[in-house]
Amino acid sequence: MKKTTLLLLFISFLGNHAFSQTADEIISTYYENTGGIENWKKLEGITMFASVNQMGMEIPIEMIKLKNGNQLTKITFQGKEINQNVYDGKVLWGNNFMTQEAEKADQESTDNMKQEVLDFPDAFMNYKENGYTLEKMPDEDFDGTSCFKLKLTKKPMMVDGKEEQNVVFYYFDKDSFVPIGQQTEVKSGQMKGQMGEVKLSDYQEVDGLYFPFSMTQGLKGGEGQAIVMTKIALNPKVDGSIFTFPKK
Amino acid sequence: MRNAITLAACAAIIFNFQLFAQTKSNEKIKPIELQKYFGDLKGRHIGPALMSGRIIDMEAHPTNPRIIYAGTAGGGVWKSKDAGTTFFPIFDDYCQSIGAVELDPNDPDKIIYVGTGETWTRNSVSIGDGLYKSIDGGVNWKKIGLENSERIANIIVNPKNSNEIYVSVLGALWSDSPDRGVYKSMDAGQTWNKVLYVNPSTGCADLAMDPKDPSILYASMWEFRRTAWSFNSGGESSSLYKSIDAGKTWNKIHNGFPKGKLGRLAIAVAPSNPNILYTVIEAEEQKKKGIYRSDDAGANWKQLNNDFGITVRPFYFSRIVVDPKNPDVVVKGGLTGSISRDGGKTFKNLGNMHSDIHDVVFSINNSDVMYVGTDGGVYRSWDGGNTMEIVENLPLSQFYHISVDDETPYNIYGGLQDNGSWYGPSSSGGGISARDWNSVGMGDGFRVLKHPTKPIIYSEMQGAASVWRYNKKTNQVKTIQPLPQKGNPKLRFNWNAPMAVSTINPDRFYMGSQFLHKSDDMGDTWKIISPDLTTNDPKKQDQENSGGLSMDNSGAENHTTIFTIAESSLDENVIWVGTDDGNVQVTTDGGQNWTNTIKNAPGLPLNTWCYHIEASVHDKKTAYAVFDGHNSGDMKAYVYKTTDFGKTWKSITTNAIEIFARNIQEDYVNPDLLFLGTEFGLYVTIDGGKNWTKFTNKVPSTAIHFIDLQKTTNDLVLGTHGRGIIIIDDISPLRSINKQVLTKKLHFFESKPFYMDDQNGFAGSGGSFGAETQFVGSNPNSGVQIKYLLSKRHTFGKMSMEIQNMDGKKIISLTPGKSKGLNIVEWYYTMKAPKVAKAKTFSFGGFASPRVKAGKYKAVITKGKDTFEHVFEVAYDPKSTLSKEDIELKQQSVMKLYNLSEELAYIIYKLDTVVDICKKTKTKEALTSLKKTLVVTTGDNYVGSAEPQLREKVAELYSKIVSSYDKPSAAELDYLGVLSNRFDSSKVEFEKLLKKAKLKKVEFKSFEDFIK
Repeated sequence: MKKTTLLLLFISFLGNHAFSQTADEIISTYYENTGGIENWKKLEGITMFASVNQMGMEIPIEMIKLKNGNQLTKITFQGKEINQNVYDGKVLWGNNFMTQEAEKADQESTDNMKQEVLDFPDAFMNYKENGYTLEKMPDEDFDGTSCFKLKLTKKPMMVDGKEEQNVVFYYFDKDSFVPIGQQTEVKSGQMKGQMGEVKLSDYQEVDGLYFPFSMTQGLKGGEGQAIVMTKIALNPKVDGSIFTFPKK
Repeated sequence: MRNAITLAACAAIIFNFQLFAQTKSNEKIKPIELQKYFGDLKGRHIGPALMSGRIIDMEAHPTNPRIIYAGTAGGGVWKSKDAGTTFFPIFDDYCQSIGAVELDPNDPDKIIYVGTGETWTRNSVSIGDGLYKSIDGGVNWKKIGLENSERIANIIVNPKNSNEIYVSVLGALWSDSPDRGVYKSMDAGQTWNKVLYVNPSTGCADLAMDPKDPSILYASMWEFRRTAWSFNSGGESSSLYKSIDAGKTWNKIHNGFPKGKLGRLAIAVAPSNPNILYTVIEAEEQKKKGIYRSDDAGANWKQLNNDFGITVRPFYFSRIVVDPKNPDVVVKGGLTGSISRDGGKTFKNLGNMHSDIHDVVFSINNSDVMYVGTDGGVYRSWDGGNTMEIVENLPLSQFYHISVDDETPYNIYGGLQDNGSWYGPSSSGGGISARDWNSVGMGDGFRVLKHPTKPIIYSEMQGAASVWRYNKKTNQVKTIQPLPQKGNPKLRFNWNAPMAVSTINPDRFYMGSQFLHKSDDMGDTWKIISPDLTTNDPKKQDQENSGGLSMDNSGAENHTTIFTIAESSLDENVIWVGTDDGNVQVTTDGGQNWTNTIKNAPGLPLNTWCYHIEASVHDKKTAYAVFDGHNSGDMKAYVYKTTDFGKTWKSITTNAIEIFARNIQEDYVNPDLLFLGTEFGLYVTIDGGKNWTKFTNKVPSTAIHFIDLQKTTNDLVLGTHGRGIIIIDDISPLRSINKQVLTKKLHFFESKPFYMDDQNGFAGSGGSFGAETQFVGSNPNSGVQIKYLLSKRHTFGKMSMEIQNMDGKKIISLTPGKSKGLNIVEWYYTMKAPKVAKAKTFSFGGFASPRVKAGKYKAVITKGKDTFEHVFEVAYDPKSTLSKEDIELKQQSVMKLYNLSEELAYIIYKLDTVVDICKKTKTKEALTSLKKTLVVTTGDNYVGSAEPQLREKVAELYSKIVSSYDKPSAAELDYLGVLSNRFDSSKVEFEKLLKKAKLKKVEFKSFEDFIK
């Protein structure tokens, strides 16, 4: 708690000097304010225990993301565990909801995931090495709050057989320099072409690093579905076999 | 005495000084930045899209056939990424009237130009505000100039040089303007030079570039002017020009053209052969009008065809498109659209679709595939224009007027440009889809009003040619428009003729020509209750000769007419009338005497169209009047308020309102809360007009022609001219936003009791059939809405929310909104779903959640160290037929099953734990056998599902009773007894086996911890 107060004091001081920031300075201050870039670089993995409220149910979700690209999302329904978006560096898979058996994702999604997992712990770390470009856009309000808007252009992705741009817009709170929102175009499905949006809040400290404990996802300007973290564990010890596509 | 006077004088001076000081300091106080506080208050778009709206310009991506753009008359720019199956909007924050869309052929995925301002210059056309550019495929936009262009006809980027851009500016419709002609930029739009200009009344209507040589350009210049009462197309200045030096010099290319004045000309170059050009000419002589072709790049022209389809309404249809592969396949815009396959000699109509075709684009790889822009949306053809199918998700409907009724859910009524009159619900099972809308009129629809108490709807078509009284219960219709009476002059009705109903006398119905007509029997008999209330200026009544080179007397220019009528809801003798030629007349004795109050409105130019009068519901002497001068080139907003029957009018506009306005809506509760509909969106004031703020939360910058406020729901309903109906649900929080509220960390808004609706029909599931590619309007929230205002966004630390009963016991957790400003959290009256036993598959019945009992509840928000509480009330559906005892029985039964499910889950948890560690094979087997009778242990969640066991049976019965509106039946109660007994005996058996297992060290979670 004390750390939060100190951080807030620090960031409100910074806020007064926030008028001529470049994109890299904003990122740099963001890392500085949320635990220091060196500490972020040391991070090997994250497990997030979360809960989603839907139709009167509080659905527990566990998300594991490792620096080596392995990741897994586990959803528990009526005591049954369903894995989704599991990736072992080669195969992207998940359990079918009907049979509960593991099934591979299509090759295009798998190839896109290969790119996506480079974003650890987030898309800004090593963004240049990853071949991304970062650009500052004119300032904009987000959630009624003055923000810096950054545009991150990643490598193009394939969508239904065609190459598409892969751009994410981030909104950094001018007072605290933490991202409070991000937007990206929905690439396929009924909502394709519309802007998807994530709102980030409830930043809290975990072993010296600050994470948003609440993320609300939806369409820009529409209603969203919140994921609320109950606990975040850093550098979890994970048996690597959980990411491997099970043999049938 | 003298001292006393001196003292009094001193006191007065001091008092005045204090007053002055106070005023001074008040002036310095910054107004509330309302924009930052709207938060979750946002527009809900309900369409309709079934008749869509007017399309101006179609654009195809030059290399990706899946990508198509549509520029629309009043609904912005829409993009399709699925070859025209569905579209989505990409330009909502900017002017929604579009003239041209262009992709940079050198970088078409990223660089898009949008020229604003429709170029099909009908009477109801909107205006543009310049040229925009996106460098990221339409996500972000920047205005790059030509701010005064008003309407942009074409944008062409040199396919060999992205920096070289040409823009044709048609320019101002209603006035002279130097901002017209052909503009060129050599720095990708940063700076512009005018390279072709004729005079202040002649703009560039069409521009084409030679597809092989970008230095060759063709420009058609058009002399045109519209007033509120006339239109003129054509003059000495209309011409077709050619430049062969990239716009430096221009020469007329009229060899073979008809003599005399010319009107609007279209120009097209065949993409596959740049020597072949087509133009369509509006000429003085009818037989010389039509399509002309040149086979030598414009040196000589030959007339080929002057059929009706080619010459009809040049101001509306001058567009020629040539097949990109075949120079002899030519499409011409028109009433039906025409296609030639012999180089323009003969034409046939395009396939059956909405009339009024404005643009066509061929798919880049297959000319059989065409996208056609009409007055009723975009159509696709797969067979070369023979069969047409409509794009079903373009909610571009152009309302002239809307109204609402007081049903539950309430309906919205309105009339549309070229698309008749309709009504539809504000909510519907599964969302508001095309099938929810009902037609109640033909032609151009305008005002549609519901009788206040009877199932009667009044609607009309243009110029009161028909005014319909439709009984929706008996499905009978009759026309009731006032007819000329003996001794009266010809009645002059506006194209958009005003009608009004009385809230005091429900059968009363008003219509306005130049006179005010009143009927007290729903239009069966009429009485004129005023003299001519207009200026009756004969110079503005010569519509027979309107149109210029092509006569165009559609009635759209009828002028010197009454346009708005408002009977005070506080006194039926007070009636306000506004006219299109700028009069505001009031009577306070039911029409015996009338006073023209217009001279009392300071700063208002003479004869400015009175678009709307809003009679205050708070005070009969008070009214608001909105004036629109755009049809004389005056784009300012004029909004006035009187508090003395018009003896004085005071302007309540500020510079924050960027464009002309048409409508104002007064709040029924807070007289200082007003909503203003302008040509570029919605404005709100919470201080009676001292400060106005643009409302942009999902309300695009579209023209808002009419606003209504539904009294029960407090929903603000916007009738837009390009984006259909947009509803802002429950604006009541705006009534109490003030500086005091904003000083609080968190402020809860008061709420009325919430009723748990018992309706549960099949509309939700049925509504989605066939709606995959349709626009479906979203429904309002139907649960409890907890509304609160945060003075600052919550970003750091934990913030959570619970619903508790009045004893502080948690019912359910909810996720609170964290935005600065208004947050709305919904709760659907349910507690948590029961804990269900773990098994091989899901028990779908167990996903249901029971509703709480009626009564008071608390929303408790914890934000850091602070806790905020708000008490609200939940009530049963007043339409419910259940007695108190029935409801009690239902709740008891549901909770019995709920508890049974959780207890069974606990037994299975314990059983699984024991089986895992028990070493006694027989006991283990017995436990496993028992489990097989309690939950399914095989199968899947689909057709491979296993035979249901106790868990599934309990869940099924539970869900059956939970989801019913009714009390449990005798059979259901019997079955509940059976299941309950089975559970009891299973429990006994489990306890026995548990003892048999004789486990020493086993620690089970407590039941309370387990179900958490």
